[in-house]
Amino acid sequence: MSQMSQPVITVSNLTKFYGDFKALDSVSFTVDKGWVYGYLGPNGAGKTTTIRTMLGLLRPDEGKVQITGINPTKDPVHALQSLGYAPELPNLQTFFTGEQLLDFMGKMFGLAAQARKERIKQLLDLVGLEEWGDKTIGKYSKGMVQRLSVALALINDPLVLIMDEPTIGMDPEATTHFRNLFINLSKQGKTVFTSSHLLDEVQRICTHVGMINKGRMVFSGPITQVLETFTQQWVVEAELEKVTKTMISALKKLDYVEDVKVEENKLRIELKEKKDMRGEISSEIFKRKGVLLSLNLHKITLEDAYLRALKGGQ
Amino acid sequence: MNALQRSAIIVGYELRRAIAKKWVLALIILALAIQILPFVVLSRLAELDIINETMWVFGVLSGQSLFVHLIAILVAGGSMSEEYEHGTADILLSKPITRVEYMTGKFFGGFLLVSFVEVITTVMGVILAFAFFGPQRDLHFVPLMFVAIVYSTLLFFSITFMFSEVLRRSTLAILMGFGIFIVSSIVGGVLSSLYSFTEEQVYMDVNKLLPTWSATTLPSSLAANLKIMPLLGNGMIELPSGDVHLATIIVAIYAVIFVLLAYFRLVRSDVTKRAA
Repeated sequence: MSQMSQPVITVSNLTKFYGDFKALDSVSFTVDKGWVYGYLGPNGAGKTTTIRTMLGLLRPDEGKVQITGINPTKDPVHALQSLGYAPELPNLQTFFTGEQLLDFMGKMFGLAAQARKERIKQLLDLVGLEEWGDKTIGKYSKGMVQRLSVALALINDPLVLIMDEPTIGMDPEATTHFRNLFINLSKQGKTVFTSSHLLDEVQRICTHVGMINKGRMVFSGPITQVLETFTQQWVVEAELEKVTKTMISALKKLDYVEDVKVEENKLRIELKEKKDMRGEISSEIFKRKGVLLSLNLHKITLEDAYLRALKGGQ
Repeated sequence: MNALQRSAIIVGYELRRAIAKKWVLALIILALAIQILPFVVLSRLAELDIINETMWVFGVLSGQSLFVHLIAILVAGGSMSEEYEHGTADILLSKPITRVEYMTGKFFGGFLLVSFVEVITTVMGVILAFAFFGPQRDLHFVPLMFVAIVYSTLLFFSITFMFSEVLRRSTLAILMGFGIFIVSSIVGGVLSSLYSFTEEQVYMDVNKLLPTWSATTLPSSLAANLKIMPLLGNGMIELPSGDVHLATIIVAIYAVIFVLLAYFRLVRSDVTKRAA
């Protein structure tokens, strides 16, 4: 990203306790304008706590958050004016129709009646709910509620869009549609902050990644850097007719092997260095009388990097 | 947009939310049904010679001592807590609005609904008085009586509103509101009896500090002061009476204390996620 870009979201030394449990431990990161920032972490890592603190819903015990330079805890009116938020599995007011809820949220952002009317139509088209706008939300499916939630987050044409697992409950077609939407928003100069379990999705749409585990940040930076940082080695995948314990044990003892994982008759051999060791590995397998069906070398994916980062973070 | 406008949006939201509930409609119907009953009974007792032309006061007050407070408790009990229970507090408080503005809107939205129910029962009381006892006089006092009744509901509305925010469970908040109402009524009754037997002023003084005393006696005391109490035979219909000014002040003190407690709870604590 450009060096001229200014942080839109600044999280500094954020610490949050739930009773004696430290949910966030000095979490810090910044998100600049135009970034699509993927926030990753296992269940209970502190992703939602971070997001809720960023919105001023939770009071931090230490540290602070700034949205466009304003602390949402102290001044929610200005901090949240240019922000859109789509929560994980949203619970919307079921007595409203989709149009009524969008209209109500538009009012909360101070939009004029005509602007609301136009924006509502535009958003319902955008999220594929144009025929459901006049139906009460109680009649919506989970996926439709999720779509409406994204529309609600966009009602004020926000500069910053914060989403907690935005594509949960959506069908594959909708997931692709929304992925493209987030990329387009980023191209328009908007900042997108999204937490997700779907690493493939993050790898496709995000420019930057933050990883959190047990309340601590283990990485924050460009997605290219995360792959570089956590892919010091390559992986060889071997499919065998039969995998034996002695073979696994022997492979693990090799100097250039970091770890060996087994799934049925497939071996996933993680190498310590970026070297093609397929010849040595096949020799070792033949030495142990193994019948090799296939042998492939590949670079580590975001999922591998993520798992490695979490392991390092522990 | 200023703070008042933001709160006004929440007032509208709160009214819309309350109207969507079927029990609100059921309560209004029940309130009206309960109002009709005493008129039917009194109109059958022709030998008591009900001669007063201010029976509208009876009509307006008949449900006041109990029913209006129960409605206030039910509305206030769900006002804040249901947003936590349904997980919608997150949606609302992640918008550009302060917590004080949000709570102000919720409070006045709920209170406006209670007032609206009271408008219906007041109008119904006057109509019933006309229907059962003929032309009525002193009707210019109707708005004042209405204000007194609505003001008196502020006390239990505020208490239950505070529990709604502090406990964040509607059922618990409503039970606490009802519990305080019932316990206060019982204790107040015992203290009144002790005062009658012993004439010790201390019993009456303590009774006046209980929430039920000011909430239930304020409107009828006002009617007595205005000399518009209806007559039954040779005497006035027995309704609680007392010092209007004291009752007014006590209602205000209770309301301010409990609203402040709710305010401190909301401002200082986290917005909890949907209740399990």
